[in-house]
Amino acid sequence: MTSLPRKLELFYDVLSPYSWLGFEVLCRYQNIWNINLHLRPSLIAGIMKSSGNKPPALLPQKGKYMFMDLQHLRKFYQVPLQAPKDFRSVILEKGSLTAMRFLTAVNLENPEMLERVSRELWMRVWSRDEDITEPQSILAAAEKAGLSKEQAKSLLEKCSTDKVKNSLKETTEAACNYGAFGLPIIVVHLDNQFHMLFGSDRIELLAHLLGEQWQGPVPSTMKGKL
Amino acid sequence: MTSLPRKLELFYDVLSPYSWLGFEVLCRYQNIWNINLHLRPSLIAGIMKSSGNKPPALLPQKGKYMFMDLQHLRKFYQVPLQAPKDFRSVILEKGSLTAMRFLTAVNLENPEMLERVSRELWMRVWSRDEDITEPQSILAAAEKAGLSKEQAKSLLEKCSTDKVKNSLKETTEAACNYGAFGLPIIVVHLDNQFHMLFGSDRIELLAHLLENF
Repeated sequence: MTSLPRKLELFYDVLSPYSWLGFEVLCRYQNIWNINLHLRPSLIAGIMKSSGNKPPALLPQKGKYMFMDLQHLRKFYQVPLQAPKDFRSVILEKGSLTAMRFLTAVNLENPEMLERVSRELWMRVWSRDEDITEPQSILAAAEKAGLSKEQAKSLLEKCSTDKVKNSLKETTEAACNYGAFGLPIIVVHLDNQFHMLFGSDRIELLAHLLGEQWQGPVPSTMKGKL
Repeated sequence: MTSLPRKLELFYDVLSPYSWLGFEVLCRYQNIWNINLHLRPSLIAGIMKSSGNKPPALLPQKGKYMFMDLQHLRKFYQVPLQAPKDFRSVILEKGSLTAMRFLTAVNLENPEMLERVSRELWMRVWSRDEDITEPQSILAAAEKAGLSKEQAKSLLEKCSTDKVKNSLKETTEAACNYGAFGLPIIVVHLDNQFHMLFGSDRIELLAHLLENF
């Protein structure tokens, strides 16, 4: 008995470390579970503004906790997370507008490259403490992901078009309409219903909703079904 | 090769639904994992005040999300969670001071009853939408848990003593010193270190730290 793959949407921003964790886990499971994973690059700053929420790290105890939590999760999820030294500047001042517009352009023009370019941007800002705001930073990530110099330049130019700006706005709005007050959010479509799950720590629950097996954040790569 | 049980502290408040989830899971695992579970009744209002945090439900989108999240978790964790109808009043106005003082008294005088009385208080406020602030509410929970009328009355009287008030203050302060900005927090003591984990969704990580997979 074959059943149609279930549609999963992951709304994420490379500025968000927990988005990276959710992203890696879902990328690992997309070839194990009967799902279609739709990556939805969004702007966390826009979601915060729309919901009236604030970045958790603005509260000192939450910031300290997040730092410790990410050190545990780095090992447990096997994702090379490393907080940038000047965390406040990176997250609160520099932001991710160009990076997320770039990913939006990739999604429109070269969607098969979206996973890899997203990962390279995370590796820059959340592993090697490198910039993701300057044009040369974006181009470096794109080329590392496998785009040619020309493709990367062309996509970067598209970032200033209304098409790309509006597409990012719409994706971010879609996340807000699903009830997001932060990122990541996972939206799973089941039986004409959808369920929104916030954070990277509801994936075991997601498995339960899908009727799939949870093998932890680092599953074996063997397929569960033949 | 036997090793000593690892010490786990669960700081919780019956006002907190996620505390109930963490509580039930750890109660189930306390006889499976090589752990000693120390229940630490605390006041979430005090932790919020100390850390400058606010109850998440004050943000509308967070409140809506919490309501949906708890409906999923109710089934997944098999805990009969049901949000009170007048959520704002119960959480923000009525609070849990007497209930947590009562559990503090239970912990001092009849610690073997702490798990059951805690559960009965959660069943009132977070399952049957019943009061937990009036003396008769507390006594009803205590008796349902198995305390006699006399024991329950005596513990209730102790709630107004400095001993009990200070004990709750100290436990709440201990949670703050561990870095709490909300509840539940689980503190696991391993190899002369401790690790503080916030929420009821870090228990798989806890298992990993305890190497009990």
